Amino acid sequence: MSKYLLHARGIHKSYQMGRVSVRVLQGASLDLRNGEFLVVMGASGCGKSTLLHILGGLDTPDRGTLEFDRQDVFTASDAWRRTYRSLSVGFIFQFYHLLPECTVLENVMMPRLVKASAMQWLLGGAKRTARRDASAMLDRVGLAERLQHRPNELSGGERQRVAIARALINGPRLLLADEPTGNLDAAMGEEILRLLVELNRGGQTIVMVTHDPKVASHAHRRLHIRAGVIEEAKARNGARPER
Amino acid sequence: MYKWFLAWRYLHTKLIAFFAVCAVALCVFMVLVAMSVMGGFVDKVRERSRGLLSDVIVEAGTMQGFPYYQKFIDVLMSDHRDVVQIATPTIVAYGILRVPDTTLTRPADVRGIKLDEYVQVNTFGQGFHYDRYYPGTTHLGLQRQPFAGFDADGALTLPPDHVKANEKWRRAETDPKAIADYDAEPFRLRGSSEGGDRIFDVDSTDIRAVYGGDAFPGVIVGCDMINERTREGGYKRWDPRGIRMTLTTIAITASGNLTGEAPVSIPLRLADDSHTGVYEVDVKAVYVDFDMLQKKLGMNAMPRGDGTFIQARAKQIIIRLHEGIELNAGADEIRTAWTEFLAALPVQLDLNDERSLGFVRVSTWEEMQSTFIGAVEKEKILMMVILGVISIVAIVLIGCVFYMIVEKKTRDIGVLKALGASGTGIAGIFITYAAGVGAAGSILGAGFGALFVHYINEIQALLERVHPQLRVWNPEIYSFDRIPNVVKPDDVITIVLVAITAAVIGATIPAIIAGRVWPVKALRYE
Ligand SMILES: Nc1ncnc2c1ncn2[C@@H]1O[C@H](COP(=O)(O)OP(=O)(O)OP(=O)(O)O)[C@@H](O)[C@H]1O
Ligand SMILES: [Mg+2]
Repeated sequence: MSKYLLHARGIHKSYQMGRVSVRVLQGASLDLRNGEFLVVMGASGCGKSTLLHILGGLDTPDRGTLEFDRQDVFTASDAWRRTYRSLSVGFIFQFYHLLPECTVLENVMMPRLVKASAMQWLLGGAKRTARRDASAMLDRVGLAERLQHRPNELSGGERQRVAIARALINGPRLLLADEPTGNLDAAMGEEILRLLVELNRGGQTIVMVTHDPKVASHAHRRLHIRAGVIEEAKARNGARPER
Repeated sequence: MYKWFLAWRYLHTKLIAFFAVCAVALCVFMVLVAMSVMGGFVDKVRERSRGLLSDVIVEAGTMQGFPYYQKFIDVLMSDHRDVVQIATPTIVAYGILRVPDTTLTRPADVRGIKLDEYVQVNTFGQGFHYDRYYPGTTHLGLQRQPFAGFDADGALTLPPDHVKANEKWRRAETDPKAIADYDAEPFRLRGSSEGGDRIFDVDSTDIRAVYGGDAFPGVIVGCDMINERTREGGYKRWDPRGIRMTLTTIAITASGNLTGEAPVSIPLRLADDSHTGVYEVDVKAVYVDFDMLQKKLGMNAMPRGDGTFIQARAKQIIIRLHEGIELNAGADEIRTAWTEFLAALPVQLDLNDERSLGFVRVSTWEEMQSTFIGAVEKEKILMMVILGVISIVAIVLIGCVFYMIVEKKTRDIGVLKALGASGTGIAGIFITYAAGVGAAGSILGAGFGALFVHYINEIQALLERVHPQLRVWNPEIYSFDRIPNVVKPDDVITIVLVAITAAVIGATIPAIIAGRVWPVKALRYE
């Protein structure tokens, strides 16, 4: 396995607001190592979420390349990119974005169900293994008791843990988190962070966006977006990548 | 896959789905009720027309009728036995029916029939009233009036032949309620202000139950002519069986001239009343004996004085084909037979006869009723057009509801896309969802529709009780005393399939919009 998981080169992205073009990213580049815990910081509106969406294949840049495991993400087919989104990347959002009609267990199963073909569904195997893996995953994030609850019956922290379980069910090599603690109080935020750190210890590569320097301090490496480009920030504490 | 799963979830957790289901259900309900009643109406018109007429009718184009009818019947019954089961002549005339005792008068379509043959060509015989309870007592020959009276034990009873006939009915009747109803009140005496089901008079000079009065030919009268229809669909009678009636009609000569004599007045006795179920018929039909009417109208054979005869005439020959003979094939054979018959007539025809015979037409019952049936069928087509419009409304409605659902679910769609769902997959959720809505709605609508149609007469009676103006089905307008209430499985299946298709079509555009949702935009904000 190569040392690097992902390379972004010269990413440009601008939004058209009527006549005015808002230039958000202007040549952002980034190399991400396997097993790294990377934090992206920057002023509000500087383009952190935009960058994360591009890394996750949810959005396309105007210019620039993204290589994941030596495969160019944006020149590949739509079908490949769907597989990329579903299998290679897990996404965690600030506002959880769980499906309100579905139970906790079903929400976590959803990435599996989306992936399964009609045949697998009919044969029943897909649903059974999805259910088993989803409960195992929920057990890992400490929600084994809440499988049949609806998202609106959970606290913010619990919802975010469900979202993490959902992001991890397909075993993605890259976990993208957009301000996962932004909507939580300090204690809950701490709890989520501990979970992420623990996952990273187990080898999970994570890119996380945050405003909070305290949160950022758990990372191996911090990047700042300024004027559309990415700058490396000096690590304030002694945290270092293990490799 | 997840499509079915999510479609199912949405279907039973979203209030808005309930509205969509209701919309579909209402449309299906409306269409099913309209189609069943209209279709049932057409079917009944056809069935009744056929019951009234028979299979094939040989008819004079003129009022004075046509000669040599009996000869042709003989030919049919000998040379065409394999096709014709039975053929019987009738005479049609117009007149006025009067009940001298009550001075009631009514316009009458008079039909001279050979009763024993006529009951075999069509369903006429099934509509008699008294003949049901006293089978075998209805005939059109000379008859006196049956009086109610006292037997040796002093109990009120009817003449012995009625009592015996009634016993016979009891043994054969399969409906115990009919027997119970009869036993509750076998008959009423004339003069009861409320009327009744069976009415008999008493003889003022004889207390026994016997026949009395002068003998006159019998007459069978359409039941809406002298009786009053009850709300329940039955009839109330006031005139006793055997009451005297007079029928006044006009004779027409072979050349179509009115004789110039005073109209013919025929004294009759009420033998029975007849219920064909077609109001237009039952409100003015009067049936008397063929031979008697023929004589009274001067249509019988008469010597001319020079040794030749004026031929007897009839208005129609009504023909019943054998079971399994195709209607039009049978009619064609009879048509050919008629042409051959005319060509082979051995006698020199006089001018009147030649003309009358030239006006004779052979038609099937369908052809005879084609203007009426055609009109009703056109109405059905118009109905279908309106229903088509309703379907389009349903499609638009489903489209709107689904557009709202997609708007509300944009964020979830973004989430699913972020999880790797494809555009077609997302569109599939909504199409599946719409098919579910269509299926649920149409099954609901079809269920309630079928129930409604089944109990439509009861519902109508209920509405009428609330306010008489709410009576929608007027038998005087629609011919039938009951609203057609049969639901055809074919109709149900068609409507359900159309409804599901309409729901899917309606949801297509919103589903495509859903498939095109850009995940980032959907996910960006709470
Ligand atoms: N769809 C869009 N249309 C127009 N402008 C957009 C769109 N999406 C983002 N932007 C603009 O792009 C800029 C970057 O947005 P982005 O969400 O990436 O910032 P951010 O760094 O994540 O900010 P925050 O810290 O507040 O989340 C903002 O100025 C925003 O207004
Ligand atoms: Mg952001």
